[in-house]
Amino acid sequence: MQWQTKTNGTIGETIYYAPLEGGPELYFLPRKGYHKKYAIFSTRFGSVDNSFYAVDHDEKITLPDGVAHFLEHKLFDDEKGNVFDRFASYGASPNAFTSFTNTTYLFSCTDFFAENFKLLINFVQDPYFTDESVAKEQGIIQQEIRMYQDNPGWRVYFNLLEALYERHPVRNDIAGSVESIGKITKEILYKCYDTFYHPKNMAIFVTGDLLPEKVLELTLENLSQRLFPPFHDMQRLYPEEKAVVNEKKVTQKLPVSQPVFSLGFKDTYSELKGRKLLARELATELLLEMIFGKSGPLYTRLYEEGLIDEHFSAGYTGERSYGHTMLRGETKDPEALHLELLKEIENVKKEGLDKENFTRHKRKMKGNFLRSFNSLEFVANNYLAYRFREIEFFETLDILEAITLRDIEERLEEHLIEELHAVSVIYPLKVEG
Amino acid sequence: MFLDMISLDTNLLPDNINVHLLPTPKFKTVLVTVLIHQVLDKNLAAKTALLPAVLERGTRKYPSFRELAIYLEKLYGAELGADVIKKGERQILSFSLEVVNDKFAQGENLLHQGLSVLKDVIADPFLENGTFKRDYVYQEKDQLAKEIQGLINDKTNYALERCIQEMCPTERFGVYKYGSIEELDPVSAEDLYKYYGSLLRENPMDIFVVGEIDAGETIKMIREAFSIPRDSKSAKLPPVEVYNIPDEVRYHEEKLPVNQAKLTLGCRTNISYGDKEYLDLLFYNGILGGFPHSKLFQNVREKASLAYYCFSRLEKHKGIQLIGSGIEADDYRQALEIILEQLELVKKGEITREEMENTRKGLINMYKIVGDNPYSLVSFYMDGLIGAKEEGIDYFIRKIKDIKMEDVVAAAHKVHLDTVYFLRPEN
Repeated sequence: MQWQTKTNGTIGETIYYAPLEGGPELYFLPRKGYHKKYAIFSTRFGSVDNSFYAVDHDEKITLPDGVAHFLEHKLFDDEKGNVFDRFASYGASPNAFTSFTNTTYLFSCTDFFAENFKLLINFVQDPYFTDESVAKEQGIIQQEIRMYQDNPGWRVYFNLLEALYERHPVRNDIAGSVESIGKITKEILYKCYDTFYHPKNMAIFVTGDLLPEKVLELTLENLSQRLFPPFHDMQRLYPEEKAVVNEKKVTQKLPVSQPVFSLGFKDTYSELKGRKLLARELATELLLEMIFGKSGPLYTRLYEEGLIDEHFSAGYTGERSYGHTMLRGETKDPEALHLELLKEIENVKKEGLDKENFTRHKRKMKGNFLRSFNSLEFVANNYLAYRFREIEFFETLDILEAITLRDIEERLEEHLIEELHAVSVIYPLKVEG
Repeated sequence: MFLDMISLDTNLLPDNINVHLLPTPKFKTVLVTVLIHQVLDKNLAAKTALLPAVLERGTRKYPSFRELAIYLEKLYGAELGADVIKKGERQILSFSLEVVNDKFAQGENLLHQGLSVLKDVIADPFLENGTFKRDYVYQEKDQLAKEIQGLINDKTNYALERCIQEMCPTERFGVYKYGSIEELDPVSAEDLYKYYGSLLRENPMDIFVVGEIDAGETIKMIREAFSIPRDSKSAKLPPVEVYNIPDEVRYHEEKLPVNQAKLTLGCRTNISYGDKEYLDLLFYNGILGGFPHSKLFQNVREKASLAYYCFSRLEKHKGIQLIGSGIEADDYRQALEIILEQLELVKKGEITREEMENTRKGLINMYKIVGDNPYSLVSFYMDGLIGAKEEGIDYFIRKIKDIKMEDVVAAAHKVHLDTVYFLRPEN
């Protein structure tokens, strides 16, 4: 087994890739001079994968909400207890996170890389679930859910997803609800593990000041001892989502100092991946920056009227089976802000987009991409998240360069349409005293 | 030296500005951070917090926020940040600018242009009739007021901040980093401009530059860009009050319409960053609640399943330790009991060899990675300036290697619980 390499001259980095037969994809990005070593082991299993045909089953399986996240918590257990302690004995700091589309296990360390790396590969591949440990975890995750219930940013976000989507599981909270996690059993966890944690459905990314030979050797040594069953691709089932929004507006009251506002536009594809998806993401981000960014006339006006503050933001998410734009911020007057944002979009459609503005934002985006390489974590996490959408992260600058003003105009016309928007508002709940 | 650490190169400019260079080839960007130190004071805090916000609105050359933003975008999206930082009983104005390293944008002189705009933001603001523009000041007062009132929106942070306020009602440290609405209300553009003038002239000023830079050239560039008329001696800031043994534990309870209750404990450690026992205290905090292997996480979360998070952390300059957790209101007694028991166990030296060694490795790891992020490097050396502990990262690592259980127990005996703050749901 040999490394294959690809060098990006503009960013001055070389990525190593090894297609391990029957095993996970392996990537390595050497970073000279960094003390930190960072490794992630990631699977294509997230909160939206809640309905599927499993490996050896022709019956459709539908999961209670929150299983991918619950499994993420429980994988840290083994017969001897909890792997946190073993990472700690090598000075590493382990963690994991679950998104809509994948689950990632990770550690960072400065010493004992080999030991920590083995631990990571092993614990992710050795599930150990018992009725007792599942019950115990319910108490912990219940508190995690409660914490998010009090988080206005989180609530306004999920309320907006519920408004945008009628059936797609992206509308469900990643951690599930107190009720749904009560339905999770060790049998469900094993079933999902067997389906989604096959190494062919996974990938490893390592970065830091390490030797490529060493990383490959460690991985091969570990994986060659394992007998993987043949891989059967699971079939994920997403309900058909119509090109309309579910609800125009969703509101909630929480103890906050002023309203929290979010406005979303729903994208209308049902399956998209690779360069097309990346180009769409970058073009939409450019468009949003051009209209709502800090250098635009709208931002200054809304800021001076006190309708937004410096945390006001706009962003696009493009996953394989869904995509949306979200604008968010705190405001004294959500109704006025809502009207202003829509009015500006119509205005830009009439007046057209400015070439100089476009060039400048492209330049800024290039700078942001370069800056992001200061963070080992950012590059590793994004590399695999993009890889799972069949996108080569290192191609970002090339794809960005190829985007034309015409592409942006098209996105403006097809994506920012009034019929496909919804709003979510958190209103202040009067606090006594 | 056993680590190829980035070493600090400090120079004093003629205008009484300290310049600290941290040259390293590993980052894609160059970060410049300018700090102006001020004492955290009830009567000044809101005014001090208002300053960076107003200064960020425009310079003589780029008189509006928008023109400034357009210019920064042209510099490959240079990131400009202006805020106040609370460290101990200081409120520090922090202005930073991060630009892509010039090697990625040949012939653009990004660092040179970046330094110049950063200096303009700090020392050449947009003025109207010889003072700050009124509209800018009023708009920023409005925004700052919202920021102060918005503390309640993040309940975890709110609970920690409220615990500090209850703990230090008469100490400087009890002042919120953005001050209070009462102090903000009467500030006029003229007041603020006058205050700004004295701050710029008199208060200690430091500049940090991190990235792949040529030391000599960078100093030259800064000397040219930052010729700010300043007094030759900086104002002396009062030292932080640390030593305090409370007579009895104070209990505070507050009700809000929330789902999760927050149990927060505030302790006086009687050890400050500059003290020789500081690393013993840091070690003690690691044993108690700084890591997933720590006693608090293991017992409150893993064993009793009462919380998703339970941690302890230090305010290193003030010498306060805060313990935070999110629980069911009904579990208050049980959670408090477990937390207090962990505090007692450390005092009694009931610490396993594994806990000692895991904490040691975790702390060493923590210090080794400081140099992997330009912002953490600045933060580390800023702590050194404030706490008059100017040793490098190597020193901290060497010290941690030698810490013994007795040292941890001795530090634990200096820690006294002061306040228990409980935020609970209304029903």
